[in-house]
Parts: sequence; structure tokens; C-alpha cells
Amino acid sequence: MPKALPSGFSRSAVEELSRQKEEPEWMLQKRLQAWEIYEQTPTPLGRRGDLGTLRMFSNFKFQQLSPYVPSNGNGALPIAIEQSLEEALVDQRAGLVVQRNASVVRTELDEELKRQGVILTDLDSAVRDYPELVQQYFMTTCVPVNTSKYTALHAAFWSGGIFLYIPRGVEIEDPILAQIWIDSPASATFAHTLIIADEQSSVRFVEEHNSAFAGEQPSLLDDVVEVYVKNAAHVEFSNMQDLGLNVWNITNKNAVHEKDGSTTWVLADLGSKVMLSDIGVGLAGNGSAGELVGVFFTDHDQRYSINTLSDHASTATNAETLVKGVLSGESRVEFIGMIRVRPKAQQTASFLSDHTLLLSDKCRAESIPSLEIGANQVSASHGATTGKIDEEQLFYLMVRGIAREEAERIIVQGFFEPVLQRIPLENLRTRLRRSIVHRMSGSFESEADTWVDAQERWEVEGVDEYAVSLDNKPAEEEIQLMEY
Amino acid sequence: MESELIIKNLHANIEGKPILRGVDLVVKRGEVHALMGPNGSGKSTLANVIMGNPKYEVTDGEIWFKGENILEYSPDRRARMRLFLAFQYPMSIPGVSVANFLRRSLEAVREGNKPREEGENPTGQATKRRSIPPGEFRKQLQEKMRLLKVDNSFINRSINDGFSGGEKKRAEILQMALLEPEIALMDETDSGLDIDALKIVSESVNALRGPQLGILLITHYQRILNYITPDFVHVMYDGRIVKSGGKELALELEEKGYEWLRPSDEENGVAANA
Repeated sequence: MPKALPSGFSRSAVEELSRQKEEPEWMLQKRLQAWEIYEQTPTPLGRRGDLGTLRMFSNFKFQQLSPYVPSNGNGALPIAIEQSLEEALVDQRAGLVVQRNASVVRTELDEELKRQGVILTDLDSAVRDYPELVQQYFMTTCVPVNTSKYTALHAAFWSGGIFLYIPRGVEIEDPILAQIWIDSPASATFAHTLIIADEQSSVRFVEEHNSAFAGEQPSLLDDVVEVYVKNAAHVEFSNMQDLGLNVWNITNKNAVHEKDGSTTWVLADLGSKVMLSDIGVGLAGNGSAGELVGVFFTDHDQRYSINTLSDHASTATNAETLVKGVLSGESRVEFIGMIRVRPKAQQTASFLSDHTLLLSDKCRAESIPSLEIGANQVSASHGATTGKIDEEQLFYLMVRGIAREEAERIIVQGFFEPVLQRIPLENLRTRLRRSIVHRMSGSFESEADTWVDAQERWEVEGVDEYAVSLDNKPAEEEIQLMEY
Repeated sequence: MESELIIKNLHANIEGKPILRGVDLVVKRGEVHALMGPNGSGKSTLANVIMGNPKYEVTDGEIWFKGENILEYSPDRRARMRLFLAFQYPMSIPGVSVANFLRRSLEAVREGNKPREEGENPTGQATKRRSIPPGEFRKQLQEKMRLLKVDNSFINRSINDGFSGGEKKRAEILQMALLEPEIALMDETDSGLDIDALKIVSESVNALRGPQLGILLITHYQRILNYITPDFVHVMYDGRIVKSGGKELALELEEKGYEWLRPSDEENGVAANA
């Protein structure tokens, strides 16, 4: 029966963790090497004059956290988790993994997919059952151990974890859902997701990060997502981060692509007190492509640092990064979006945009799009805007009877809507619309309904008694309120 | 209650510069008033001030509507009293669909921002509010669209985003039809329209005309009055209404222009030696 480790990170804690897990020697060595790197790497402090997210982490009291809080896999799940599973973003799913603190407590996979050779398991088990795959892919080329001080800490203390392998040619239609839950105060959770999509396979993966515990004593989620996209494979990865304000979050996500492989990242960040997020698209294969759609909404004294990298390393690769966020309260967000075009990456097309809307006088946003171009046949562009709500737009809506506060909320909806349209998962779009409305003070439940109706439900034609047709014209002449 | 809009001695500034210098005007339900005058005479300012645009500062005078002095009311409250403005330059609001916007607008104008139950008060928490079911809303919208011969595709688009000049004006009139105001201010609804669009817009206004609706039709040109016959014509010059009359006044203006109505400097309150 595994036991929680006392607070504090140390070499002996690494050894104790590995011993409790009865891990093979190679994994212990990997952890110890990572611990060495962690100890040798200076704490990152950020640039002079930035908004201070890294500096906040440098003052974070890591030594007060327990590095390992396991859960009993056989016990009943807390009500909050059970409820969240019922309200999950995915109702029809091909598989499920639930991680609670340091342990995976539930794993399910469609039987037919199992027969086709799909592997979905916790990473602890994969270390024992698929050692070759884990040795080859775990924190080697996608998110290497030494990416940052915090990825090194992750590699030393990772626990639980999700391992997904999709064999050649298998296309998984329904999404696979993963939920990561933190319900222990003063704990550190190092969740790891490793996805290997073999040639011509495809998968939709949805990961939700939530927390449920009371009190000010903060916990840490230091997670890593590694996606290997083989020839002509496609991975869609959606992440909704809705952690409580007593959770600090460091997240590193990267996808590496072979020829013609492609990835869609969808990142929705709403929660967490301080978040340090690095998302990468590594385009090493000819003709590979990456798309990143990001939405965030911050409030109170939240601090985000979001860093994206489109790394073009081969011929004819495409990347598109589109991030939109709204800040309120005294929150601060810094966004650094990098497009890197390496010398061999001819015929690159890369686009990046970042737009933020400030709802209060006390919030601050900083946006730094940058380009590093080493090839000459390149089409690359970036744009960033930061602004406040337009007074003329407000007046227009108010003249139509809508009170000022709601008019602001409607303009925020309009600000987000084009990027929400890019999110493939309807439930995620709907959940985000509701979360966005709820986060704006004074909002009414029905506003969220009206917005969702207008965007999602109007396509259903002729289902209600009020539907009328226009002068005997055929039904398709009726008002069809579709998504645009 | 009488749905009268009464403007008394209205003075207003923009950025310290006086634009309205004592406007007096009464518009009743069922009447169509044309407000004419040269560019810069203050016609659009009057419409904006009546709706409470915060860009303008009212320095003197009163605006009464349905027996209440509405000067201190917010624009949305004025709208919920069933005062309407069709904008000269409607704002585009990308990402907000006409369907979403019009439903909320109709709910607000019809139901106010009252919570569903008496005594239930929105306290910053998400609360249920009176809302119009999507089907009922669609039915009402469809009726108005049919009446005004508005293309169905309007509804799928973002508010005024990428609309042509004519489409914007027709969208304004569609909103007017849906919201059923008691007094509507139409600010240069004819400007920027070619003759075909002008006919369509005029037909729409005529379709809405009736004893339930008072209209203040602001226009620079006489030509829209060939299609919409006003009951009264007023001429604005330098921030005041300098002449009022029947529909024949419009024809006289077409013939003689506005210059003959220019107030003398003395009348205008400017010192003779300035």
C-alpha cells in the first residue's frame, strides 16, 4: 500500500517514491538524473520588467509540498469527481482515465479498440508493461527532461500518468477523456500524458484539470504532455484548465511531427492562481502542420505566463496560433508567441495572433509576438492587440435596451466567439460560453442560454410549434440560424 | 399615458463646443415629423442627446417622454421606455450574431431587466431572468422579416459586420419593427442609399407607420419625403429649430435651399461686433 511522502523534495524522496512504485532500475536512474538537473539548474527569474510570473514561482514554497499523495485505486471516488465525470465534456467516449492527485484511479477503453491494439493505461503500468516504448518516448525528444528546471522536477517526481498508443491506421472516432483531479492541500502532482499516434492514425483527446479542496494552503500541478505524431497521423488535444485559485500550475505541452502529421491544440485556461504554460508545435517532418487555439479568462489576482512556439524545421510546414483572452480584476497575463523558422524550413507558412481585452483598470496584459527566420521562402506573420471595450459599441447595444453591464458581457461574447468557433468539441464550446458568462459579475443564467442557443441550437429546424414557413415556400427558405 | 416626446429649450455641448442652442419640439404617437437642415446644424446631435449618448453634455433644457423627465436616465432605460434610434452609422459588433443580440434586446425592451419572480433580486449571482423562448422569438422575428422583405441570411451574421450601407439601414429598420417603439428617431436613414435601396427602406417605414408609432425622420435631403409623407416638417439651423410647417415646407426647401432661413447674428445670440 503506497504511502504519501512527507513534505519536501530531495534525492532520498526520489528514491523512496521509486521504491514504493517498485520501479525498474532504468526508471529510477532516469528520475535521479532528472533530480541532478533540477538541482543544477538555476531558478528562472524572467526578464527585467516583465509581469513577474516566473519570479512568483521562484518565491513559491516548494518545500512545504508533499511530492507524492497517492490514492487508493479501488475505493469510491469523491462525489465531486463522480459529478464531474457525469458533467464531463465528453458524453460519448472511447476511453477514460481519471487521475486523483498522484494516482490513476480509473481506466476504461472500448473493447473493439483494445482488439485493434490501442493501449490506454496509466504510465506507472506502462513502465512495467511497455518498457521499450516508455524508454524511447518518455521525456526524450518531445519534452526533454532539461527543458526547464520545472520539467526536471517533473521527471524526478512524476506519478500516475496517462499512456496512449494508437497503432498504425487506427482512427479513433469518439474522444478519449482524461480528468486530473487535485483534492489534497499542500501537495504536488506531476501528471504526465504520453501519446504516440502511429502512422495514419488519428485520435481526439480531451483533458480536464480540476481541483476540489478548501483552504489557502496551495498545491501544485506540474504537468507535462508529450504527443508524438507519426507519418500522416492526426491528434486533436483539448485541454480545459479550471483549477481552483489555491492551485499553482506549471504546464509544458509539446507535439512533434513526422511527415504530413498534424496536431490541433485547443487550450482553455480559466483557473489556477499562477500559471506558467509552455505549448509547442515541433514541425520536423515535411508537410506537417500544427494549429493552436487558445482561450483564457482571468480574474482576481491571477497571473498567467503563456509561451507558444511554432518550430518549423522542415519543408512545407504550416502553423497557425490564435489566442484570445479577457482579463478582469487585478489579473496579469503575459503572452510570448514565437515563430521559429529554421534554415531548412523552406515553404513555411506560419501565422500567429494574440488579442486581449481588458475589463478593468487594474489588470495588465503584455504580448510579445516574435519571429526568428532562417529560411528565405517563408510566409510568416503575427499580430497582437490589447484594448478595452469600445464605448460606441456599448452605446449601440444600450440604445437597444440592454443595460451597460450586460452590453459589456455581450461584447466579450463577441470577442471570444470567432475563436470558440474554431474549437471542434461542441461540449467544450458550450462549457466555455457558460464559464465566460458566469465569470462576469451580475450575469444571468439565461444570458448563457441565449448565447449557446444562438450559436449551437438554431440549426434544429421545425422542431417547435412556433416554426412558421414563409408564404408556402419550401422549408429551406425558413430562417436557418446556423453556425457561421 | 400620452406617448409624447417633449423637448424644451435643449442645449448640449460636445467637448465644450455648443451644438444645440435651445431646441423645442413635440412629437406624438401617430405623427411623422421630418427634421431637415444643413450639415452641422445639430440634427444628429439632437437624436443622440435624446437617447442619452454620454459623448454629449446637456447644459440646459429638458426632455420629457411619457410624462417623465428622462434626462438623467441611461440610454438603455430610455430604450426600455420604447424610445428608439435608427443610427446613421450603425456600429458593427463582430462575433455577436444578430440572433443573439435581437433576442436579448427584445427581452430587455419587453420585460425590462427584472428578475423572474417579484422579490428575487439579482445580486451578482447567476440568476434566472425572464426570457423569450427561442421558438417564440423566431416566430416574431420571422413575421417582421417577412413584413420588411429582409433576407434570411441577416440573422446568421454578426451585427452589421461586413454589411453594405443599405443592409445596415435595413437591419436598423428590422430592429425597429421588432422592438415596436412608441417614438422612433431615424437619423439620416436615407443617406448613402441608392434609389432602389431608398425605395425599399421607405416602404419599410411606411409599413410600420400607424397610430402606435411616432417618427422623427432626420434627413438632409428632400428626396426621401417623396416616399414618406411627413405630417410636419421642421428646419434646424445652428442648433435651433428655425421654422416648422406642413409637408409643403419640404418642397419650398428643395426650391430655395436653407440659406434664407439662416438666423441673423443677433437672433443667434452672437454680439454684433464679434
